[in-house]
Amino acid sequence: MKQDSSFRSFSLSLVWIWLVLFALLPFALVFVAGFLSHDNDQLLSLPVTLANFFQLHHSLYLRIFEKSLWMAGLSTLVCLLLGYPFAYAIARIQSPIKHFLILLVIIPFWTSSLIRSYSLIAIVKTKGLLNTLLISLGIISHPLPILFTNTAVLIGLVYNLLPFMILPILTNVEQLDNQLIDAARDLGANRFTTLLRIILPLTMPGILAGCILVFLPAMTIFYIPDILGGAKSVLVGNLIQDQFLIAQNWPFGSAISVVLTILLALLILIYWRSTRGEEQEWP
Amino acid sequence: MKLKNISVASYLTLIYLFFYIPIGVLIIYSFNQAQYSLLWHGFSWRWYQELFADQSLWLAVWHSLVLGILSSSLATMVGLFAAVCLYRYRFFGRQLLYGVLFILILSPEIVMGIALLILFSLIKMPLGFISLLMAHTTFCIPFVAVTAYSRLVSVDKYIFEAAKDLGANDWMTLTSIILPLLWPALLAGWLLSFTLSIDDVMISYFVVGPEFEILPLKIYSMVRVGIKPEINALCTVLFFITLSCIVMYQLLLRKKT
Amino acid sequence: MKKYFFLLFGLFFCVSAQAADNILNLYSWSDVIPQSVIQQFEKETGIKVHYSTYDRNEVLYAKLRANSRVGYDVIEPSSYFVDKMRKQGMLEALDKSKISNWHFLNPVLLNPPYDPKNIYSIPYFWGVTGMFVNTHYHPANSIKKWADLWSDKYKDQLLFLDDAREAFSVGLLSLGYKINDENPAHIQQAFLQLKKILPNVKVFSSDTTVSIMIDEDAALGLSWNCDAERAKRENPQISFVYPQEGFVIWVDSFAIAKDAPHKENAYQFLNFLLRPEIAKQASLYSTYATGNLAAQKLLPENIKNDPRIYPTAAYLRKGSFQTDPSEATLALYEKYWEELKMGG
Repeated sequence: MKQDSSFRSFSLSLVWIWLVLFALLPFALVFVAGFLSHDNDQLLSLPVTLANFFQLHHSLYLRIFEKSLWMAGLSTLVCLLLGYPFAYAIARIQSPIKHFLILLVIIPFWTSSLIRSYSLIAIVKTKGLLNTLLISLGIISHPLPILFTNTAVLIGLVYNLLPFMILPILTNVEQLDNQLIDAARDLGANRFTTLLRIILPLTMPGILAGCILVFLPAMTIFYIPDILGGAKSVLVGNLIQDQFLIAQNWPFGSAISVVLTILLALLILIYWRSTRGEEQEWP
Repeated sequence: MKLKNISVASYLTLIYLFFYIPIGVLIIYSFNQAQYSLLWHGFSWRWYQELFADQSLWLAVWHSLVLGILSSSLATMVGLFAAVCLYRYRFFGRQLLYGVLFILILSPEIVMGIALLILFSLIKMPLGFISLLMAHTTFCIPFVAVTAYSRLVSVDKYIFEAAKDLGANDWMTLTSIILPLLWPALLAGWLLSFTLSIDDVMISYFVVGPEFEILPLKIYSMVRVGIKPEINALCTVLFFITLSCIVMYQLLLRKKT
Repeated sequence: MKKYFFLLFGLFFCVSAQAADNILNLYSWSDVIPQSVIQQFEKETGIKVHYSTYDRNEVLYAKLRANSRVGYDVIEPSSYFVDKMRKQGMLEALDKSKISNWHFLNPVLLNPPYDPKNIYSIPYFWGVTGMFVNTHYHPANSIKKWADLWSDKYKDQLLFLDDAREAFSVGLLSLGYKINDENPAHIQQAFLQLKKILPNVKVFSSDTTVSIMIDEDAALGLSWNCDAERAKRENPQISFVYPQEGFVIWVDSFAIAKDAPHKENAYQFLNFLLRPEIAKQASLYSTYATGNLAAQKLLPENIKNDPRIYPTAAYLRKGSFQTDPSEATLALYEKYWEELKMGG
């Protein structure tokens, strides 16, 4: 059977040329930079060294990685818990208002995220809307110290990343075959069992995609810990930013990026292997 | 049955409130008399007056819109091809392609920004609209690819076999089978890309040229002196324009059916 | 489908076709030059000005470092960045003969340690880093020295600038050292000292400082004098204090990038900015103090005589300019700063 090769060669070349030029090459530059040094005159210079990578052994950097993993993981979990039911409910709606509802999720995110974060500040400030409301209703007597704490950072992360969890799950749930669910019911499964044994496994690709699209940005975002968290801790995103901009230590910044990339890739791989069911077109 | 509907509707409403209360706050503060305070100090039209006199801001909005539309469309195209290739073909370097896509999502923006800047200076490409377009398209591609792929994976494989038996070549399979099946995922990918593009700061900071100002940069660079509520006014105006367009589109659709 | 493609192509050509005539590319801090000034310049000279902005010196530096031919003409680095950039050949030596309005500049700001003889930079805006206190919570005279901030009664109340150099200046000054001290032992002592103040720090921020002050999220702390001034307009209880041990004088200077494509236009613009009337407008708009002495004299009485905005020579004696430290010192600062942020 002869494979029609024109489509294959066209699409492969298009994809490869673009990604090699604008993704692979820059990343290769970064990878190489991780092995270089720097001095007063040059941002990147010889000698080639492994010192940048060894520097990461220091407990300070391990603590930074640990804290970032914790924050990103927590945000992903919260996004999943909030987003899955939401995506499921919307995807199962039959009426034409569905598309409108989906767009309603996205529209707020066409507003600058910085301005929205400032609005969050206005809400959780000491004299902000939330505290004023709660105090005037008599629920609390002293303002809740939310702003400039980890809670505020979590709220900010979840707020900015929730659509990235909702959309992939939504597109996945949409092509759930109703017959499978009906069949399960006919065989006597209650709602909970249907959810656990049929729906969740079938929507796993969407869940996975959502988790990736939330967890990864959560690891590298820098302005939310700064403006909502009072910049009182350094997360990996801030660390890399500082190395490139303030310390002007491009080699070290590159090394951190490389390690972060490898670490996250490993995590994804492990999670993948453990949830893989039947054979699919996936490594 | 009714109880289930009510609880579902309540949950949806709660989440929508979560999304929209900060937007509401944003809109209210565009009428705030105070310039720096984030508390309410009285009503004023001042910021709207300043907004409509500020030409440079509207130019930046226009630039961001065009950039967003073009880069999302380009990214959707390339992302679609990438997803299809990964799904259907076994080819040399397949794992590497996965790797590159993930690296794009994983890379911190500042690293990508500086790397692209160095790349552009090495190949002597002048910085401006084109460099910005290339950069934005690039970081949007993996989002489209991942969304399209997760949908492709759930498609019944036998459809492709049947198509091949009926004599369809790959181009026809693309246009008659994949596109119709995948268009919701492609639309989702396009919307995701557009959202990412019109709000990107770090990468744009480094690859933008002097003659092409875009909105997120303009906003972001105001933080040091304090973001004026004029920006709130702008966001409010844009928000209502977008909302009206979508509502109108929805009403038109209703009329057709 | 085809319709969409045509639309996309149309948009593409619409935007990429930019006229490249008589232009000037200005790359500076946001919102420092009012539109009226830009428009006046454009009208007088026929040069079109593109005003791009950044929110911190580091971005300016990184961008020009990675690609010196980016295309910016006039830039606005702060004190020690002028030092860093001139040492690395990123700035154009100014031809003073093309800047006839040079003599309007305030001699106090000329010949600073970060740019001897002002070969490369024009000091345009300036100010100091001191302390602010919200008199509603603490009396105005309760803090006179940096060392006062360490007191236990200020637990979880301080605003600290999110800037390693500024923070370490505070540490060094409180111990009696100079702000540009590069002795590793002194820097370590400053680090240990700053560790002790951490429980008092409620927030690190360089960006939302004014709203933090006005909305009373922090009762006292570090502040640039211009920020305290702005805060005072919306909350009269904010009071700015010059610390007795000394303070940083910061200067935002205009300079020309080494590979600027439109150098002649750049000189015209700089000379235009130095006109007293223009400098006065820029100062009133941006609320920064102007480095142009003639312009300063044109300002309203309540501003030019306010020692918090225009410190007299008596106050200024205690101030010093920041210079660029060596790579080793910079690395040390960065390492300690991260440790401080992570809780020491």
